[in-house]
Amino acid sequence: MTSYRLPNRGRVDHRKSVRFTFDGKSYQGLAGDTLASALLANGVHLMGRSFKYHRPRGVVSAGSDEPNALMGTRRGPGRFEPNTRATIQELRAGLEATSQNRWPSLAFDMGAINDNMGSLFSAGFYYKTFMWPRSFWDRVYEPIIRNAAGLGVSPTESDADTYASRFHHTDVLVVGAGPAGLAAALAAGRAGASVMLVDENAEPGGTLLSEPSVVIDGKPAWDWLAQALAELAGLPNVTVMTRTTAIGYYHQNLVGLAQRLTDHLDTAPSDAPRERMWKVRAREVVLAQGALEKPLVFDGNDRPGVMLAGAAQTYLNRFGVKVGDRPAIVTAHDSAWHAAFDLADAGAKPVAIVDVRPAVDTALTDRARALGIEVLLGRTVTGTSGRLRVKSLRVNRMEGGKPGAPRDIGCDAVLMCGGWTPCLHLFSHTQSKLAWDEALQVYLPGKKTEAVQIAGAGRGLWGIASTLEDGATAGATAARDAGHDATAQTHTVTADRTGSGVTCKELPTDKDPGKAKAFIDFQNDVTAKDIRLAVREGMRSIEHVKRYTTNGMATDQGKMSNVNGLMIASDALGKAPPQVGLTTFRPPYSPTTFGTFAGYHKDATFEVTRRTPIDGWAEANGAAFEPVALWRRAWYFPKPGEDMHAAVSRECRAARASVGIFDASTLGKIEVTGRDAVTFMERMYTNPWAKLGVGRCRYGLLLGEDGFIRDDGVIGRLSADRFHVTTTTGGAARVLNMMEDYLQTEWPDLKVWLTSTTEQWATIALQGPNARKLLEPFVEGIDISAEAFPHMAVAECTVAGFPARLFRISFTGELGFEVNVPARHGLALWEKLMAAGQQYDICPYGTETMHVLRAEKGYIIVGQDTDGTLTPDDAGLTWAIGKAKRDFVGKRSLARPDMVAKGRKQLVGLLTDDPKVVLQEGAQIVADPSQPKPMTMLGHVTSSYWSDALGRSIAMAVVVDGRDRDGQTLHVPMPDRTITAKVVKSTVFYDPENTRISA
Amino acid sequence: MLLIYCPYCEQDLPELEFAYAGEAHIARPADPAALSDEEWRDFLFIRSNPKGVHFERWRHLNGCARFFNAARETVGDKFLATYKAGEPRPDADALLASPTGDAK
Amino acid sequence: MNAMTSTLAAGVTITELAPTTRIALRLADPATVPGLSLPTEVGARSADGSRTALCLGPDEWLIEAPEADRAAVLATLAGISAPHSAVEVSDREITYALEGPAVLDLLATGCPRDLARMPVGSGARTVFDTAQVVLTRETDDRFHLTVWRSFASHVRALLDLAQRELAAGL
Repeated sequence: MTSYRLPNRGRVDHRKSVRFTFDGKSYQGLAGDTLASALLANGVHLMGRSFKYHRPRGVVSAGSDEPNALMGTRRGPGRFEPNTRATIQELRAGLEATSQNRWPSLAFDMGAINDNMGSLFSAGFYYKTFMWPRSFWDRVYEPIIRNAAGLGVSPTESDADTYASRFHHTDVLVVGAGPAGLAAALAAGRAGASVMLVDENAEPGGTLLSEPSVVIDGKPAWDWLAQALAELAGLPNVTVMTRTTAIGYYHQNLVGLAQRLTDHLDTAPSDAPRERMWKVRAREVVLAQGALEKPLVFDGNDRPGVMLAGAAQTYLNRFGVKVGDRPAIVTAHDSAWHAAFDLADAGAKPVAIVDVRPAVDTALTDRARALGIEVLLGRTVTGTSGRLRVKSLRVNRMEGGKPGAPRDIGCDAVLMCGGWTPCLHLFSHTQSKLAWDEALQVYLPGKKTEAVQIAGAGRGLWGIASTLEDGATAGATAARDAGHDATAQTHTVTADRTGSGVTCKELPTDKDPGKAKAFIDFQNDVTAKDIRLAVREGMRSIEHVKRYTTNGMATDQGKMSNVNGLMIASDALGKAPPQVGLTTFRPPYSPTTFGTFAGYHKDATFEVTRRTPIDGWAEANGAAFEPVALWRRAWYFPKPGEDMHAAVSRECRAARASVGIFDASTLGKIEVTGRDAVTFMERMYTNPWAKLGVGRCRYGLLLGEDGFIRDDGVIGRLSADRFHVTTTTGGAARVLNMMEDYLQTEWPDLKVWLTSTTEQWATIALQGPNARKLLEPFVEGIDISAEAFPHMAVAECTVAGFPARLFRISFTGELGFEVNVPARHGLALWEKLMAAGQQYDICPYGTETMHVLRAEKGYIIVGQDTDGTLTPDDAGLTWAIGKAKRDFVGKRSLARPDMVAKGRKQLVGLLTDDPKVVLQEGAQIVADPSQPKPMTMLGHVTSSYWSDALGRSIAMAVVVDGRDRDGQTLHVPMPDRTITAKVVKSTVFYDPENTRISA
Repeated sequence: MLLIYCPYCEQDLPELEFAYAGEAHIARPADPAALSDEEWRDFLFIRSNPKGVHFERWRHLNGCARFFNAARETVGDKFLATYKAGEPRPDADALLASPTGDAK
Repeated sequence: MNAMTSTLAAGVTITELAPTTRIALRLADPATVPGLSLPTEVGARSADGSRTALCLGPDEWLIEAPEADRAAVLATLAGISAPHSAVEVSDREITYALEGPAVLDLLATGCPRDLARMPVGSGARTVFDTAQVVLTRETDDRFHLTVWRSFASHVRALLDLAQRELAAGL
């Protein structure tokens, strides 16, 4: 064991050593260590390099506010994470950690040259430095910046871990399991409220873990803690979760929690997620997040070995690690005195306590002197020395408000405390207001917007007794507000450590302040003089100062830097801090992995993939799939050696020559039923429905109230009061919602109801001249001859023994049927038709062939050939409007001036001069390709395919006044050439007489 | 994610079950043909978008499937009231005077 | 054990149930249909022998019955004289039975509702992940989750993931 580890101290397991590596070197720590405490126990203070200046840095804190000790951590392939905070990462066997922001090594970093060129990197250097010459931007500045940018290294492999999420509902959520949070949970839990108590640390206890000498209810703090936790564990209505960070506080007491489940384990159980996102809805929230210690701002306050005094106390008492043998303490608050006392008790020899205050409680000075610690009051600190580890501290007596002669004090660590900031990040997420407390010189909770209690140090209280009492009161209040009969318990505390302090700007110096490197934001390398420069250069708002200097914009979100930055900015502006204001805290409270946000939405469950009953057959038969809305649809069925073009050509030929079979199950289906079904259909669709006979179908066109095409589909009348409406695949939910909207809110008097039957039916299309011959033997109950069952007929019957709704419809221009059978029978019917179809060389085809066949007939696809700005006239569909209808959704808009003006884009055909050239969908169309850029665009190509039936390419396009341009040559400029094409007024390229469809 | 009181289910339920549906109390004219182009334009496109109390429609899409109306205060993003489709618009000032907010 | 059932040590099983007859019944006023005993509170379910009627909305009921009763149920509904709509949706959905002491945790991986407050014998349309589902609480620790067929593989995959997660015990 190293000399920095103290036996019999701390909560680590001294009997259980854990091996780990840092930058390839093997070290030994103890179970219960964090990576940071284990490195400190090995005498390692140098843990990283700063982002901008590459200055050597050591650990500053012992918690999630750590700005410096960020590392890459790894456990095997696909399990690498950059920017892991060494203060949070628990030690586990075999942990591999690597330092960041350095090359070639942590101790010797070439990037540190930036440190000597600091004047080039002053505040706003991004905005000043890379402005000229302009030609340098692409080739010089951007590559340099890109190379240097980024904190840590991105993982290169896909994440091998899984992540989870959970909704939770509770009466009371308590955030923070320090004394206030524990007392709150006890009060609410005893009252019978359901309670969730969460803490970001590995262990509950908060400050109590670092203050073992305090006595609560007659017991040493740790015994009291164990008893409190045992009581909470015994309450079935209380859940305690550690390693769980409340990252965001949203409306109506919804709090997001990020729970770390496996990063601390030597081996993770299989199937265990690495992290879990909780979405907790609480009736009442108690925020007991404590306070964050601030650094003091002085030249050289960032050397390895300079850290927060409270952190040193935590390393000592919780981890049994002495951060130095001869620490010097620099403070503006009483709390650091106790850190010094604890270190002295543990055998360290604190060399001096330097307090910026001219006088402090004599109990403190007496104790210090009794321990042999030099006491220096009314001092300022003006520098440190030491390259990779602090060696001395430069201290000046303040005389008449000015620093006097300096004195160097040798030390091996500097423990600083600039006071404490109530942690109100989550409170601020709720848009609640913070209020500046002039006496305490801190921001405290102001007006609340949620059902929340703030307890303990979060509202400026100090000492265990007052935080316990406050927590109990908050917990009882929350439980009462959640409907439980609760009273706050009382606790007696002795040997408490109360105290107070002052809030400082940067400490006064006798050196050139322009040369001082007095850091405020360690991670982003922002110094006091950067803040003053920003103010001199005209930044007035704290939000501007923040962005100009990047103060508080690092991954620690200004937990350490915000208030120090504010104090200096307000001094530079000559305004009181509340007049300068505080920047806004936003979620997440601390860096959260993408995996936690993604949860289960990863790999196979990334998003919903809807599958038809025939999907499995298509997969087994080699289909290529394409996503259509949330569905995956068979795109084409390549045979061995075929590419997409060959497969689609073959499928097209088969459907035109004999018979093709197509899975149309994804089409939206809505059953419109009820006494007023016809009236409803008349009002919704452009077409007339009253005279549509039972057993007949009609193409239906649906507009928005704005007159633009929204959807279309074939609609069959099954009986006087029952329609089988089909919609586009992607439009099904939207159309149903739109219909429900009109029905519920505009026409509630209509006796008609809508039921989605999309998934009730599997729909199989048979298309081609042999379709009837194939289908006929399977059909019972009706005659499907051309005479008895003509184009656009519909009937209920039996197909292959299954109850069916049979449509004679075609989206190909061929003789066609669509068979709807209950979904469970879809696959069986498909297989029967495939087997019987062998005699006709039946060919399964996919969506691509469906698209080609329909384009050859000029049938539009809503959403492809229309884009929400096409009227029926634009799309050449005025024939689908019931001329005699007084009203339907969208009718009035069709008479608006803009809708009837010249110059609208109209859907036309486009045939390339070179029949072999297939235009690109989306390509822009111009009249004159030699006009200067930017050219006047006349429209764009909406559909374009190779047509096997026509032996040439075909395309549809929307073109300004397109129908007037019949025969005109237009141009389609492409990156490598310009393609010429002629407009044809009609989009029907194949069988314009429609003879095949009626066969 | 807000909690929304569905006036049909008579429960506070998670926003994930609901879908927003635009401004409320804009009835489709009984005879659109009788409207001038300007009046029809206003019906189609002109919305109030207030800073303050907004009367708006929601649908309990993944629930009882009903459209209903709500008064929501848009600055704090808080629902002041929800009520069934067809019921009269409540008085905005009265709603603000007795906030359902949680400030204690 | 049914091949569609998966059981792990987590104390929760997931079983795909055999098809039943399901009818989406819509009508304005259930009082006009005396023979059916339709509950009027959204979420409430009534039972009449092996038939149940779950009120999903103010004018909407999901009628369920064994497949053997299909014709009888359809005939009963066809006899309603008041304006109504009855549409068979037996094939639209797949139902999973989720059972075990951890069933609320299982559902909490995807459903934002506070299901601890759902009374036994009631149900609701809600969401699981991004899929719309109908949940009914059959006993304290048994729920039925009914989801549109095309979403079923996604929902089942998530349930299986969650089941393994619960078994892992973290």
